[in-house]
Amino acid sequence: MARLVVLGGGVSGHTAATFAAKWLGSAHEVVVVTPNSKWNWIPSNIWVGVGQMTAEDVTFDLAPVYAKAGINYKQAKALSINPEGKESSDKPFVTIEYTEAGREGENEEVEYDYLINATGPKLNFGATPGLGEGSQLGEHTVSVCTADHAAHASDELDKCIEKMKAGERQKFLIGTGHGMCTCQGAAFEYIFNIEHELKKAGVRDMADIKWISNESFLGDFGVGGLHMKAMGFAVSSKIFAESLFTERNVDWIIGAHVSKVESGKIEYELLDGSTGEENFNFSMLIPPFAGVGIKAFGKDGSDITDTMFAPNGFLKVDANYGAGAYENWKASDWPKTYQNPTYGNVFACGIAFAPPHPISKPMKSPNGTMIGPTPPRTGMPSGIMGKTVAHSICDRILKGDNAPLHEASMAEMGAACVASAGKGVFSGTAAAMTIYPVVPDFEKYPGTGRDTDYTFGEIGLAGHWIKHILHHLFMYKAKLNPGWTMIPE
Amino acid sequence: MVKDIVTYPTPPSVNYSTDVRVVNEEIENLIQDIKDTIDANNLDGLAAFQIGSMYNIVVIKKEDASFLELINPRVIGASAEKITTIEKTAYFPGLSAKVTRDATISIIYEDRNLEQHSLKAEGDEAILLQRKIDYTFGSSFINKLSPDEKKRFSTKLEFGSDIAISESCPTTFNRDKILKVINIAMVVMVILLISSFFSESDKLWDYQLYTSFGVLGLNIIYFFYAQYEGAKYTSCTSCQIGNIIGTTIISLSKLTLIMAASYFLM
Repeated sequence: MARLVVLGGGVSGHTAATFAAKWLGSAHEVVVVTPNSKWNWIPSNIWVGVGQMTAEDVTFDLAPVYAKAGINYKQAKALSINPEGKESSDKPFVTIEYTEAGREGENEEVEYDYLINATGPKLNFGATPGLGEGSQLGEHTVSVCTADHAAHASDELDKCIEKMKAGERQKFLIGTGHGMCTCQGAAFEYIFNIEHELKKAGVRDMADIKWISNESFLGDFGVGGLHMKAMGFAVSSKIFAESLFTERNVDWIIGAHVSKVESGKIEYELLDGSTGEENFNFSMLIPPFAGVGIKAFGKDGSDITDTMFAPNGFLKVDANYGAGAYENWKASDWPKTYQNPTYGNVFACGIAFAPPHPISKPMKSPNGTMIGPTPPRTGMPSGIMGKTVAHSICDRILKGDNAPLHEASMAEMGAACVASAGKGVFSGTAAAMTIYPVVPDFEKYPGTGRDTDYTFGEIGLAGHWIKHILHHLFMYKAKLNPGWTMIPE
Repeated sequence: MVKDIVTYPTPPSVNYSTDVRVVNEEIENLIQDIKDTIDANNLDGLAAFQIGSMYNIVVIKKEDASFLELINPRVIGASAEKITTIEKTAYFPGLSAKVTRDATISIIYEDRNLEQHSLKAEGDEAILLQRKIDYTFGSSFINKLSPDEKKRFSTKLEFGSDIAISESCPTTFNRDKILKVINIAMVVMVILLISSFFSESDKLWDYQLYTSFGVLGLNIIYFFYAQYEGAKYTSCTSCQIGNIIGTTIISLSKLTLIMAASYFLM
């Protein structure tokens, strides 16, 4: 009997664990270690953040779902990996610390035959002074990264609406809170949902709304931009985004690294080296991501974290980390099997794997500050990676150690993204975007490195409905309701 | 080498914002071609798209006749102050439009060694740079026009000419004076018709007949003159033709009605 341990129960880890449990059956054991008691459909947090959904609508308890699937669920966080075991035993193990009510702080060593690291990121609020402390959100800004953060954001938004109704002007500042953030799409979606809600509340004329992000042009979305199809015309996402902002009277700051957050004020540095300040009454700034900080130890107890993990704390996989400068980057640098090069029974997927390099062109201000989107690894690609890794491991367990590994490179993977403004059935509009491949392949597709037939966006109500459908579909799938395997990632 | 300039209706490339990753011979030749084309056509600048390349390159010819090469340019900062000017561009030869842009901008770009630089621009230079960078992002100034100006510019595109296009449609025309005379004449005819109930004179029918010929003639004059006059305001032709035909039909119907009544009653 083999044991597969999955660290993390997000999109990627949950997909991997549930498929592995289904494929392996009761002959083998699947263990999920995740510090959260609930599963969260993160894209819908945007709607929680404007009070259109509750935190309960976008989450569910993991315990009953895992009980149904026959998965051994441990509500705990992983502290370290010992891939070579310890002096008294060759069996590799992870050390975990329980977060479950009543067992807090209790440590346990969980042995494994195969390990999937799908911990997702640490929300690195601490990277920007004043934005927060470590992974804890600070007091000056709000976030929509977790369901609880989003519910808090909604409360703060209500307070601002009350103030505006009382005649007090409010300034909204939405965007990214650091030069090295990803997930611009989420902030983009949030700013338009806020605008929509303020209009609905009849206080839009009392609000100044401003966008601040680390993209080098509006509409980059962290993927270098794409063309949008609207009513038979192709228009660039830059022009599309600019006209959307202008139409709704939303101002923007672009190419910005937020360097400091204080009460009601931020300081920022731009790509041209200039600096500035911006005041706010309400601000949602996305934090940068970092690895969750798992340590690795050798058989003799020596620290081998640097061998297993990249400097940013993400797990090393079969990627080419020595690609060098931007002009040498290739699609083939990106991992295919997500297997750790040193320890063949360790895999990483979702945000937890260390990418070989960014996707967008790296940009620096004259002062040396890196300002540019880091590669998005969320949603659809995360799910696909999770399923692929689960497939590989199940094959190795069932067919033997020489079974070939399955591949899913982000350079051969598409991604879809829906950004909606408003939640009504007839009143919202949304931009639905598809990107293929996620990682540009400059050899296959000269120019932007993307297939322009499959990389485009569409604007309209239809995209808005898709977002609704996705919400219900993925909540249904994650709960492992009948037919869940039929729903794609 | 001097290249052909891409003009409307060739659509902007969907491979836009293709950043230059390596400056090789291809890129160096491309920059030279852009310069040659600028010189040959006496232009103030060109984006690579305008000579058919997808790369994110803009070359500007400065006042001292030297060239400024901008590789992978981006507009980073913009002022709150806006400026509206009449712009022309080689993509729409012979046409111009009123475009509102940022008065001052900050741009980052790279040189041939892919070293990053920034520059601040204002006035004409800022306008020129914004227009050229639009091309590298798959757009022309048409997406920057106000809704009214866009409508006006679409007409210019349809006729392929800037000339004889008035800024707006006049609300009063000379042809309306003819219409006024026609209406007065028809009021006279109604009065003649009513008078016939009180008078037995045959003369009244003759007057009615002559007036009706006059009104018919005026309608014909109106129909042709109105079209001649309409042609002077090309920006509002389509709605005018319908208007003229409609007005003439209504006027002739009224005339027919009066004459039919007169024939049986007088």
